[in-house]
Amino acid sequence: MEMAVNSVSPSEFDSSTPPESSEKNLQPFFILHKASSRSSHRRRIHLSPSKSVIKTDDLLLRMEAFQSVWSEIHSASKDVLRDINTSAFNDIYHWVRQSFHAITSYGMPGFGQATRSFPLLTHATSKQLFTGLVLTKNMEFVDDLLTFEELGLCLKSHGCHVANLSSTDFSAKNGIGGCLRSLLRQFLMVSLDAADMSILASWYREQGNYNSPLIVIVDDMERCCPSILSVFILTLSEWVVKIPIILIMGVATTLDAPRNILPSNVLQQLCPCKFVLGSPAERMDAVLEAALLRQCSMFCIGHKVAVFLRNYFLNQDGTVTSFIRALKIACAQHFYMEPLSFMAGALFEEDNQGFQGERNVLLEGMLKYASELSSPDSDTRAEQIDTTLTCRLRELKRLQKCWSSIVLCLYEAGKHKIRLLDIFCEALDPEAYNSVASDNHTGLGKGFGISTPSDPSMRQQCFTMRKGGFICQAIQKVRLLPEASLSQLLKSWENLTVDIYEIHDKVKELQSMVKLEEGRISKEDLTDICILCSNDRRHASWRRLNIESSKRINEKAASLIDCMVRDFLRPIECLPFHEIGCFRNVEKLQLALIGDPRRRVQLDLLEFHKILWCSCCSRSCNIPLPSMPDTSIMYTLAQEHGDLINLPEWFQSFKTIISHISTKGKRKTKQSMLPKKTKYINESEDKSEASIQARFCRAVTELQITGLIRMPTKRRPDCVQRVAFGL
Amino acid sequence: MGKEESPQVTRRTTRSSSSAANLDNVAEKTKAKDPPPPTLNDLLFGEEKPITLDDLLSSFPGRRVQILELLRILGPVNCPMLPVFIYGGTSTGKTSIILRIFAHLNRPFVYSSCLTCYSPRILFESVLDQLLLHRKSAANGYSSAKRCERPSDFVNFLREALTSILCNLQGNSGNLRSKKLEGQANGHMIYLIFDNLELVREWIKSNTMLPFLFNLYDILKMPEVGVIFISNTSPDTYYSCMGYVEPTPVYFPDYTEDNLRQIFMRNQSNKKLYSSFLDIVLKPFCRVTRRLDELSTAFSLLYKKYCEPLSDQGIVPNEDMKRRLFSQLQPHIASSLNEIFRVISLPSAEVGATKKPKRKDTTRKSGGCEVPDQLDFHMSTSAKYLLISAFLASRNPATLDASLFDSTGGSDSRKRKRKPSEKSKEHKETAEQESLMKGPGTFPLERLLAIFQCITSVAADEEEQENDGLGIQAGDNSLMSDVLLQLSSLCNASLIVKGGSCPLDGSTRYRSTVCEDMTLQVARSLKFPLSKYLYRG
Amino acid sequence: MGRENPAAEEALCLLRSRLCDPNFIFKPLSDSPDSNYSKLKFMISSSITEACNNSVLLLGPRGSGKVAVLELVLRDLLLEYPDMISVIKLSGLLHSEDVCAFKEIARQLCVENQLLFSKMASFDDNSQFMIAMLRECGLAHKTIVFVLDEFDLFAQGKQRLLYSLLDAMQSVTSQAVVIGVSCRLDADQLLEKRVRSRFSHRKLLFLPPSSEDLQRLMEHILSLPIDSSLPQDYAVEFNAKLQNVLADKRFKVIIDTYMNSDSTANHLLGFLFRAVSNMKLENGFLTLENFEAALSNVQRQPKLESLKDCSIVELYILVCMKRLEVKEQNSYNFNSMMKEYKSIHDSLRTPDYYSRSVCLRAFEHLLQRELISFTDKRGQNQSVEFHPVKLLVSFHELHQGLKSYRSCPAILQKLMAG
Repeated sequence: MEMAVNSVSPSEFDSSTPPESSEKNLQPFFILHKASSRSSHRRRIHLSPSKSVIKTDDLLLRMEAFQSVWSEIHSASKDVLRDINTSAFNDIYHWVRQSFHAITSYGMPGFGQATRSFPLLTHATSKQLFTGLVLTKNMEFVDDLLTFEELGLCLKSHGCHVANLSSTDFSAKNGIGGCLRSLLRQFLMVSLDAADMSILASWYREQGNYNSPLIVIVDDMERCCPSILSVFILTLSEWVVKIPIILIMGVATTLDAPRNILPSNVLQQLCPCKFVLGSPAERMDAVLEAALLRQCSMFCIGHKVAVFLRNYFLNQDGTVTSFIRALKIACAQHFYMEPLSFMAGALFEEDNQGFQGERNVLLEGMLKYASELSSPDSDTRAEQIDTTLTCRLRELKRLQKCWSSIVLCLYEAGKHKIRLLDIFCEALDPEAYNSVASDNHTGLGKGFGISTPSDPSMRQQCFTMRKGGFICQAIQKVRLLPEASLSQLLKSWENLTVDIYEIHDKVKELQSMVKLEEGRISKEDLTDICILCSNDRRHASWRRLNIESSKRINEKAASLIDCMVRDFLRPIECLPFHEIGCFRNVEKLQLALIGDPRRRVQLDLLEFHKILWCSCCSRSCNIPLPSMPDTSIMYTLAQEHGDLINLPEWFQSFKTIISHISTKGKRKTKQSMLPKKTKYINESEDKSEASIQARFCRAVTELQITGLIRMPTKRRPDCVQRVAFGL
Repeated sequence: MGKEESPQVTRRTTRSSSSAANLDNVAEKTKAKDPPPPTLNDLLFGEEKPITLDDLLSSFPGRRVQILELLRILGPVNCPMLPVFIYGGTSTGKTSIILRIFAHLNRPFVYSSCLTCYSPRILFESVLDQLLLHRKSAANGYSSAKRCERPSDFVNFLREALTSILCNLQGNSGNLRSKKLEGQANGHMIYLIFDNLELVREWIKSNTMLPFLFNLYDILKMPEVGVIFISNTSPDTYYSCMGYVEPTPVYFPDYTEDNLRQIFMRNQSNKKLYSSFLDIVLKPFCRVTRRLDELSTAFSLLYKKYCEPLSDQGIVPNEDMKRRLFSQLQPHIASSLNEIFRVISLPSAEVGATKKPKRKDTTRKSGGCEVPDQLDFHMSTSAKYLLISAFLASRNPATLDASLFDSTGGSDSRKRKRKPSEKSKEHKETAEQESLMKGPGTFPLERLLAIFQCITSVAADEEEQENDGLGIQAGDNSLMSDVLLQLSSLCNASLIVKGGSCPLDGSTRYRSTVCEDMTLQVARSLKFPLSKYLYRG
Repeated sequence: MGRENPAAEEALCLLRSRLCDPNFIFKPLSDSPDSNYSKLKFMISSSITEACNNSVLLLGPRGSGKVAVLELVLRDLLLEYPDMISVIKLSGLLHSEDVCAFKEIARQLCVENQLLFSKMASFDDNSQFMIAMLRECGLAHKTIVFVLDEFDLFAQGKQRLLYSLLDAMQSVTSQAVVIGVSCRLDADQLLEKRVRSRFSHRKLLFLPPSSEDLQRLMEHILSLPIDSSLPQDYAVEFNAKLQNVLADKRFKVIIDTYMNSDSTANHLLGFLFRAVSNMKLENGFLTLENFEAALSNVQRQPKLESLKDCSIVELYILVCMKRLEVKEQNSYNFNSMMKEYKSIHDSLRTPDYYSRSVCLRAFEHLLQRELISFTDKRGQNQSVEFHPVKLLVSFHELHQGLKSYRSCPAILQKLMAG
């Protein structure tokens, strides 16, 4: 299938778009393969040398900008992913300590007894094997490969002996010996051909490490061969008194999995305890927050891209890994294709060292910018750019910061109910913004002035009044928030909006109001108590008043977040110079992520003329013509059949189509040479007959190779089956 | 094996723990790396002083008959014996009793369990290692004394080892005549114990291994060697690999109800309270199982529940207190009678105090009980659709696909479905019988994909109706894209299993193993009308 | 242990060591002129004296003392003709595959002739070594006796060992006797043609002892020697009591009930062993009770025992399966059993109706007890509940089990009946 992607899709794009851009289309693959230098080299071939020099060096500039930005994003996301697990890991370690004490409470056997072959006679329950079932809330296993390694490291760092087994060790082929062998290999660092538990016991005793448990981590329980796993568990449980072994198993689906996999006598040996890792949705939000919102690396993504990523996450594979990969691709593509993007790097650098250092770079950048600026409105103001530019860029940065902090505020408001990803997508939506903005306010779409938009209500509508919009849900939630959580919310807002002064002040005063409220309530509770409420009517009135007051505060908070949304939630795509940091090209990302090879193969077979650009059959939309390539003729014919294609019929129809041209040819020959035509004809006949069969066979094999049909089965010798789907 | 916590055991464990303690504080300073070299006494059970017969009998309630029988068979010192075959259900105290008996007789023996020794080679080598007083260690690279895989080599090695050991023992017993040494082996016979013999039947070489083991005594022709087999299953289950003279059998029956009571009553701190507890629980549980291990796990949790309302555990319960305790234990009994596997999730502090059992344990294959309304783990949408379509493909007969999944999305599938429901009764019964027998059916990849396509297309144009603010435009048409990936990951999660290949054409077939409840959850999470497509015979 | 009665203990030891020593057992059976002992001895000794090759099959049911008699013969011959015989013993259980068979032969030959045996020697080396040794011994007029225990196991596979042995024996120089011991009466039918043609079809058939033989045998085994370290009066009294027991009618009955299942000598030994080990050391005499106890010890009914061990739920499952079989359901599995169980519960409200998981556990218990089993080897990806099973106990046994079960619910009896 990879074959198919690389072979088919670029060729198609060669035809559809001018060659230089087709190079760009190739980029995702190259960048995925870390071959950026090579790609730049390829560019030089196409462009005129003088230009190419500049191209290459500003390409390099952009590449290192990419490096810096991406490394930032990457490290941030890695950290946040690690932090998500820490609490679960701590729980696990705590439990490990407890179970270890429970095991050793039976009395630690001496060397002799531990290495003896016969079991120690103790409590019946002492044969139970403490087992942690770690629910990795995701059917896909990719994200958790790392998780369990880290769990192992974490436990190692606490001084436990850890062995990580995976389902490959529990294969029916190697049997129980296989997993014991790998167990010993990890504990003893020796590989033995005859591995048994007694070796482990004597090793454990030799090391003189009686006060640390042995921990066996099985990454993915569902994938293990059940019989082997159960034998393994039984073996461990026979030795658990002599060797304090604790088992940790990753469960991808539900807690029913062990019940379904293991027989009851094995379940009997387990003393299970469950732990839950962060669900992929939470991880997603955390990664998103860390990568795109928290630290303002100038890179961000457009609305369409965001929606695409969201759907990709929900529909295709819900792994954070793939999401990060997608981000990386987007980032790389952006920095590769967007001429201005190096300034993002510069702006990003600015945080670290002063802006002046980069100035010259910037100016040079400006010149190029003037020459080949892609944003529509820039050419008019080309002359005054370099004077005002730096502050504009700062402005851009500031606005983006505001935007992200507002989004985070919304997220805080709708925490645990509304996914950050959704808010993020909605907040990025430019139509929602422009739809209202464009008609009343001219300057906004391209407006440089930070003119605080007039007529806010309208725009506020566009975000908040959208039915079922996540943002307005969040605001609703603020209205209904109880006091305690409200004050918490305000605190978080305070932290979030430190660098948006006006909002910060508003939040502050709101907080003070809340404090005052609480003070009053508490005070009046005191009064309630001291006046041990003689008449409850008055008391009730107090209460009502409290409730109203708290309501009032909620209202204030809601209106505050409202106006935040109104004033500062300007989608990045509506800001000037957004091209610098914002990646908007969905198609390329989609192409890179979802190759969808089968679909593309079939498409290309049906609409081959888009690729070939031949005059003869571009006009014919779907009627097979003899001039078409055989494979596409065959495939077009196959469309008429069901998913079982009768070979003779197929051949007949194929022959009829092909034979048009042959008859034509015949006629020509007929005119040309009258003598010995009969011989000529019939030989051409059988020749064409043979050649048609040959072509037919070749086409069928090609279709089979591309995986669209399956060869005839014993049951139906005269039919091929089509495996075609995706169209 | 069974719960034979005897006074000796406690004494021993304490002693051993203390020895362990001083052993590892030796480990701090001087070299404790190399343990004391193994001696003949390592073939003994390792008590300082052999336990008396009375202790032995008292420590195993309800096993008096078996113990005496075994003692008679083993006979007085230095008199040969025919092979013995000890059999009985799990946790009836076979292993522990035979070991205790040897501790009592203080005779040398070699124990090897066919569970730990999972292959002939390892079994042979462990026996030889024990006989040759060889201990695997870092020094010898954890290798065994002799490498032997074939029974023939094993017999030769075994002869050598036994003869050397036996002449050692005779030497011992020689000077043991003169003065009774402490902790010396009694007599000059050695016993080979093979535990978990029933497992050998699953070995690859079982058809040669078992006759060999059973004939070992005749092959060796050494009267000083006693052979003892311990097995979970009765001798008649070995007839398949007959070809030996049957060893003399000793049977360990399961504990009766009052045996169990005695066993549970042993070393309880508050006997009164516990007996009142047992009055409640023992009878109902014994109707379900009489296995010691299963009962003890169930009881340990139940007893905590039982004691929860009590302030001090030392209290002697009077009648009405018993009644109260019983009344509030009642529900827990009912629940834990019906569960076999309880997963605790500990929030924090010491385990046991804050155990809260998961209340979905009654479902093993989730045989119809309450299930959480939404799926509690993440699946991508296409994986969900794939799961559903696999479920349908497994449940529906392939002949009905055309009627169920036509372009109208099964809207008219109702009247199609009426037709089979008019079929005659017994036919339906047989069909139902079939489904009971065969379980979920298998299906080829093509069918799965076809159904998948139908479902997703239907879902897609349903999506068109209510398409909320964030367009799903990128979503559905590309659901198809990496469906094979999704399929493989479903197989990995063992929600779909690769069945055997179809006999006619070699294509591999699949089968969905998910239960209906889970599929319903998935369908609910997609708002997918599963019941509309499900064919009910 | 009680050393209160040393004489009794010594007697016990003596008897047990006798029981464990086949040579002693089969001594009395072998003195008569037409016994297998004398036939075999005559054959081998003649082939020694006439320096010719020979081969014979000792056939008979397991435990009829083939090997023991052979041992006796060889022992006596070794005494008669010192250093004219060397005996090579192989067992089909150990050396069924040719490689280790030849290796073992070479090893024993080396031990016999004080040669140095190399473990590294290859298959061909060993076989050639054997041929060479055969020739050498033939020249030295030394007979090599090959004893092939479990002969039928050598006959499976390519029979290279048998072929090369018998082929080597065709040559005049060699001087060897091949004695095959097998409990399969058709052992020689298993041989390939090329092997069978080289094999002399001499067979000795070992029949289980007749009843009077048994009587003699028991006397021979159980009676104490008068002239020994044992106190004489004790021995005499012991023998007298023994005679009484042996003469007793009830004892005859016991012996017959025991021996009619399998009347070989070794079978008897197992019984006598239990009886002897049941002997009370206090009085130190064999009594009839010992034998009765031994009978109950040795003759077991595993199915009934494990039926007694079953819990109520397991009994329910068994009964349900029985009912299914009565309904002529050709095959059924856990699910159909559960259906039946549920229907029973619905029809007559049984007190013990448990969850599916518990029933499945009970089902697995039954599988472990081998009261039920899967009808065929279970496939890897088909779970337990779908796999067809069958009962391993007959209806009669099940009925008996239910009757003998303490506190068996009456409903079960009824269900069992109808």
